[in-house]
Amino acid sequence: MEQILTDMPQVIWDGLFVGSFYALIALGYSMVYGIIKLLNFAHGDIYMVGAFIGYALLTALGGSFQMMGLFSLIVVMMISMLLTGTIGVVVEKLAYRPLRGAPRLAVLITAVGASFSLEYGVAAIAGSKPRGFPVRLDGETLFMLGARVTVPQIILMLIAGVLMFALDRYIRGTSTGRAMRSISLDMKGSLLMGVNVNSVISRTFFIGSALAGAAGVMAGAYYGNISFLMGFIIGLKAFTAAVIGGIGNIRGAMLGGLVLGLVEAFGSEIVGGQWRDAFAFAVLILFLTLRPTGILGERVTERV
Amino acid sequence: MNFGKRTLGVLGVATAVLLATSACSGGLLGGGDSGDSDSGPIKIGMIVPTSGSSAPTGASMSNGAQMAVDEINAAGGILDGRMLELQIADGACDAQQAVASANKLVSSGVSISVGGYCSGATLPTLPIFDKAGVPMIIPAANSQDLVNEKLKSVFLINGTGLQQSAAALDFVKKQGYKAVALVDDNTSYSKDITTETEKQIKADGASTVVLNTSVNPGESDYSSVVRDINGSGADLVYWTGYYQEGGLIIDQLRKAGYTGDIMVADGSADPTLAEIAGAAAEGVYATMTPTPNTIDGAEGWIADYKKAFGDDPKPYSTQSYDAVRLAAAAFEAAGNTNTDDVIKALEGIKDFKAFSGPLSFTKDHTLASGGFVILVMKDADFQLFDNLQ
Amino acid sequence: MTIDNSTESIHTVEAVTKKKGPAAWVAYVFENKYIGLAAFAVALLMPFISASTYSLNIFTTAAIFVVLAAGLNIVVGYCGLLDLGYIAFLAVGAYTAGILSKAFELPVLFTLPAVVVMCVLAGLIIGAPTLRLRSDYLAIVTLGFGEITRITAQNLTITGGPQGIYNIPSFLVIGNIDFQTPVLFYYLTVVIVAGLVLAAARLGKSRLGRAWKFVKEDEDAAEAMGIHTYKVKLLAYIFGAIWGGFGGMLFASHLTAISPPSFLFLQSALVLMAVVLGGMGNMKGVVLGAVAISLLPELLRDFSEYRYLLFGVLLVIVMVFRPQGLWPPRGAEGERTKAQRESAAFENGLTK
Repeated sequence: MEQILTDMPQVIWDGLFVGSFYALIALGYSMVYGIIKLLNFAHGDIYMVGAFIGYALLTALGGSFQMMGLFSLIVVMMISMLLTGTIGVVVEKLAYRPLRGAPRLAVLITAVGASFSLEYGVAAIAGSKPRGFPVRLDGETLFMLGARVTVPQIILMLIAGVLMFALDRYIRGTSTGRAMRSISLDMKGSLLMGVNVNSVISRTFFIGSALAGAAGVMAGAYYGNISFLMGFIIGLKAFTAAVIGGIGNIRGAMLGGLVLGLVEAFGSEIVGGQWRDAFAFAVLILFLTLRPTGILGERVTERV
Repeated sequence: MNFGKRTLGVLGVATAVLLATSACSGGLLGGGDSGDSDSGPIKIGMIVPTSGSSAPTGASMSNGAQMAVDEINAAGGILDGRMLELQIADGACDAQQAVASANKLVSSGVSISVGGYCSGATLPTLPIFDKAGVPMIIPAANSQDLVNEKLKSVFLINGTGLQQSAAALDFVKKQGYKAVALVDDNTSYSKDITTETEKQIKADGASTVVLNTSVNPGESDYSSVVRDINGSGADLVYWTGYYQEGGLIIDQLRKAGYTGDIMVADGSADPTLAEIAGAAAEGVYATMTPTPNTIDGAEGWIADYKKAFGDDPKPYSTQSYDAVRLAAAAFEAAGNTNTDDVIKALEGIKDFKAFSGPLSFTKDHTLASGGFVILVMKDADFQLFDNLQ
Repeated sequence: MTIDNSTESIHTVEAVTKKKGPAAWVAYVFENKYIGLAAFAVALLMPFISASTYSLNIFTTAAIFVVLAAGLNIVVGYCGLLDLGYIAFLAVGAYTAGILSKAFELPVLFTLPAVVVMCVLAGLIIGAPTLRLRSDYLAIVTLGFGEITRITAQNLTITGGPQGIYNIPSFLVIGNIDFQTPVLFYYLTVVIVAGLVLAAARLGKSRLGRAWKFVKEDEDAAEAMGIHTYKVKLLAYIFGAIWGGFGGMLFASHLTAISPPSFLFLQSALVLMAVVLGGMGNMKGVVLGAVAISLLPELLRDFSEYRYLLFGVLLVIVMVFRPQGLWPPRGAEGERTKAQRESAAFENGLTK
């Protein structure tokens, strides 16, 4: 118990750091679900694809480019975001759009199929061996309030924060954002009011997938190890985060990510790290049965 | 429903035909498996992972075995000119798959098995080979459970978990570590080593185990175990899992300010560890059986291997190579391929020249001397640090 | 729902009967009521074609896979609940059988009552809180439960931790006859599996089975017609769990060793694949799908790296072009034509 108290600041910081990854991925889940009520199982795998695209780009650009460290990483991240965004749009066009209006079961199974295709497609191209990421973020270590914080952690959290802030502005401040919100409230109504529903949905997939791709590159650069199955568990966790925050709610997804990160950190501190995943899923099940609308989810309660 | 009658009629005829034919074919009445024969090529079975995340290791093992087979065949085979024939089957590090593959090898009439990488997948194949009278020389898998089965047809040519923990303890005493943290990845092989090491360190008493914990393989973030290690005040961390998670943990430990030493077990003694952990991997120790890189005078062997497979030999290439040579030597000594004779021959092997040193078996059919040495990571590759002699 | 759908379904049934030529012959054979018996006979005759340990092992594995598919078919095919953690029931069954038979040195068959009880309990624990959820939440919660089951098995001492359980005793020994020998075990498995498949098919036609189909087609309407949908769904779940438990018992006995890596999500997905490809709700199709899924990898060993990619792409293609499965049950809602799908899409506010 004493151990837990002295570790407290470190636990909180570790939880928040992991949580910010969950939040970035949870956003895509939540946006897509909020708009077309689709549980996009393949979303976690887009994160993995992002990491592999980043890996391929950095390897292709070679050593000279790597010297530029953070700058090159951000450029590569931007390109990966564009590519993963496009992949998201393509997946939606090929797999999900033909099934609008089909029974829910069919759509869910398609999503599982899409997830499998992405995972083993990457395994077929890049091999099933885990790979080390070519660029590593290294930096000073600072002590803040009793917690050990590294500069790369701060940089990555800042990037995540900027991306989330930009998304929030976009959803609330632009006409596309307004269109998204209106579709999630009433799709037919939006259509009749002249909203180009298909293009807005494509854009939603693009943004969500781009954010997941960014998270993938960041995770690769920070942890240094990528593999074709890395998206599976984190996809589930991100979904859990989206549910905790109130699925369909953008700010809820961010909050949910941080909360899940903290809950996991405390959980594994108390019951042991090998139970971490079991702990996260138990939280998911508790939330879904006791409060399916999540922390910030009042707005979506009347959905049938 | 005339169709139904027709279907039944056809079925009736089919039954009759099948019953008649199976009596003289490979079917049930014909006797099933084809057993050993006294002429023609001698089949050597090998179960290694050729799919899944351990597939690269599987490939380096089957290459090593293939090399030995080619060399022996080029030299005219064994037992008066009989050739060896290597049959690879996928174990995928999964019990279910490995059992299927073991049955497949038994059905195709192998005389000996030289495979086995993941202990968890190797364990359930033992009774299948044993019942079919196929002796096993296991090159890599080294869980104590394999020994505890007490099958007389099983021989382990990798040091066991017990021997590896003994090597770890030797090193701990030699270096004078006081507080050791043991971390495993919750797989049977890995947990085996931590459990044994804890037992031996406790019995020895010169140092203490301050932490013995497990992590889930396949994650990215190991901050929880890193906190535990830092909180435990350990001056040596011994990681006994595979290199993917090992690399991540080493990197995160260093980032979190851990300044003590780190040692890994043979599952992590792979250059990929440095690829994943980056600079943090420098100076990491490993308990490992000698690899070609660490053996004097193995350059020629390495060159041959490279020429044949276009790749550097990896850990366990040597053990697989030795397993096939050992099998051939046992056949020669036995004078035939009969199960009991081969087992007796293997038991009688004395100071067989293997990469890990002179090889003979104890009464448990494990290596008389474990052959573990301590390697150290230097310039992103493992080099010999201490041969514990 | 438009009225078109019902006329469409009648239309498709007529279309089948009107077909001539080889297609009609195939339809006759497969809709024949003796087809199940014929399949059983084929299963019994397989060892006469090849009785090597290897082929018997594959046949037995395939038979066990058929039970799993039949069980998942009850949940997904009949009742329309997407269960992505079905392998958890296999794990519960296998571990119960393994632990008890080892601890008390019992033949595995004698653990059957305990296996059934444990699986019913597991079905209740997983089903009771989750079955009130929307279908897509249910999918992910079952996935989570599947993972929790595996992680728990990996971390507990009673389940043998990561090593799992090995040296599981023989399935059944009567006098000198040991049913663990491959041939006898295969036959025993085939008989048990045939019984379970038949029982599942019967269940589908029972009063409960019709209630399941109603719930699958339209839950609100079913509720309005006086069906206690929660109870009915829970029953589907429990029956699925029992079938999974039987599968687990056979699995444990067949391998004589079980360990956590056998219960990955991948395995759940493979069983789902068999159900979907075979035609959700059509037991004959599901059996065929299960046999295909479990035997194909043995035949296509060289493509093992690509087989999951192929499975994934197939899932998407089948769902896009034939959402009711390759071989849907007779009398199911017919395939939606493009025009219908577009009109439904317009109903939902979307046009191309």
